[in-house]
Amino acid sequence: MSLKYVDEFRDAGLGRALAGEVLAAVEPGRHYKLMEVCGGHTHSIYKYGIDDLLPANVELVHGPGCPVCVIPMGRVDDGIAIAHQPGVIFTCFGDMMRIPGSHGSLQDAKAQGADIRMVYSPLDALRIAKANPDRDVVFFAIGFETTAPSTALTLKRAKAEGVANFLVMSNHVTIVPPLRALLDSPDLRLDGFIGPGHVATVVGARPFEFIPADYGKPIVVAGFEPLDVLQAVHMILAQLSEGRCEVENQYTRVVPYEGNLRALEVLAEVFALRPHFEWRGMGFISQSGLRLSDAYADFDAELKYAVPGVRVADPKACQCGEVLKGVIKPWECKVFGTACTPERPIGTCMVSSEGACAAYYNFGRFAREREVV
Amino acid sequence: MRVRDVDDERGLALCEDAEGHRSSVEIALVAPVAAGDELLVHAGTAIAVGGASADEVGCGDERSEAE
Repeated sequence: MSLKYVDEFRDAGLGRALAGEVLAAVEPGRHYKLMEVCGGHTHSIYKYGIDDLLPANVELVHGPGCPVCVIPMGRVDDGIAIAHQPGVIFTCFGDMMRIPGSHGSLQDAKAQGADIRMVYSPLDALRIAKANPDRDVVFFAIGFETTAPSTALTLKRAKAEGVANFLVMSNHVTIVPPLRALLDSPDLRLDGFIGPGHVATVVGARPFEFIPADYGKPIVVAGFEPLDVLQAVHMILAQLSEGRCEVENQYTRVVPYEGNLRALEVLAEVFALRPHFEWRGMGFISQSGLRLSDAYADFDAELKYAVPGVRVADPKACQCGEVLKGVIKPWECKVFGTACTPERPIGTCMVSSEGACAAYYNFGRFAREREVV
Repeated sequence: MRVRDVDDERGLALCEDAEGHRSSVEIALVAPVAAGDELLVHAGTAIAVGGASADEVGCGDERSEAE
């Protein structure tokens, strides 16, 4: 079945023409470093070979917008601790099952006898709760503002329907605080950002105004088709060459500048900001995580079950933190493609399809060289 | 995903993806929708109408392995 919008945004001729415009927009001798914030963009860039269409002096670095990748080991351990509680049915998305904790993954815990089930959505977890009224069903919620509305709406359903055995362990995070942390970091010099299209569908483009206002960098919110990404790169380069610096929205077919107001209302009702939350490789970032609001405290798995809550250091060999901050490329990690592969991941970035390491591995980017066409 | 049918009472839509897989989707954030509409769906919830493509992934689409 051919879907509307797909063909238009994968047209090879248009892609070549746009690549020509990108080439014309760059200043010879200047190196451009652009960060794509979202793991979905990283996936598209390597799936479609977009980086091969860019001039050699336009470098794409990969940001922290992969929700599975940023979960620290300690939170996995906390989830496993809840999963081992008597009578608990623990539910999570598929990718989450293989994220390593300090003593194994949720998949390992399942093999040891914990009742852990993969779900496609929090609604699936709610259905399991309704079918098992004598057991607590805990949903391990992850994701940015894109997936948090789904958890929020499911909690509203659970409350409205009186499903008291449905609980959520919230690991939801927000995108602005880590971007600010990256911009404050002396490790990284960036010229502009490809903004996260789907997060912006919910929050709008407005929250990104601090990037040009406070840091003097352009950002273009972009879609996920190859021509979307190429056009976003061109728009950033055009801003730079014209001396402009602003938020632009390339993904207007989906993203309203003010976001999805209904979604924002639901998020404000169901969640509250944590004072701080730990990100893998980035440490604790203030006001970057979401807990359940007081009105939904009865559904908060962390209030019902004791969890270790211990901060666990990443394995020494793993450099996911540097990858997530855009400081190194996946192939620069000591264990990339050798000890760490999608089949036997050491770090989170090799597990999720949105992870930069998995994207590099799956699409054959094992070294620095790229084929510029 | 494309809307095949809408259950207004439950606030759900039966949707179909590019491969023909069908699932129930929460539509509270984008209602009203009608059969034939394209929805951008994350974790079982539609967050926008229109613009979704066959294999888009974005911050939060953690289902890939399962799919």
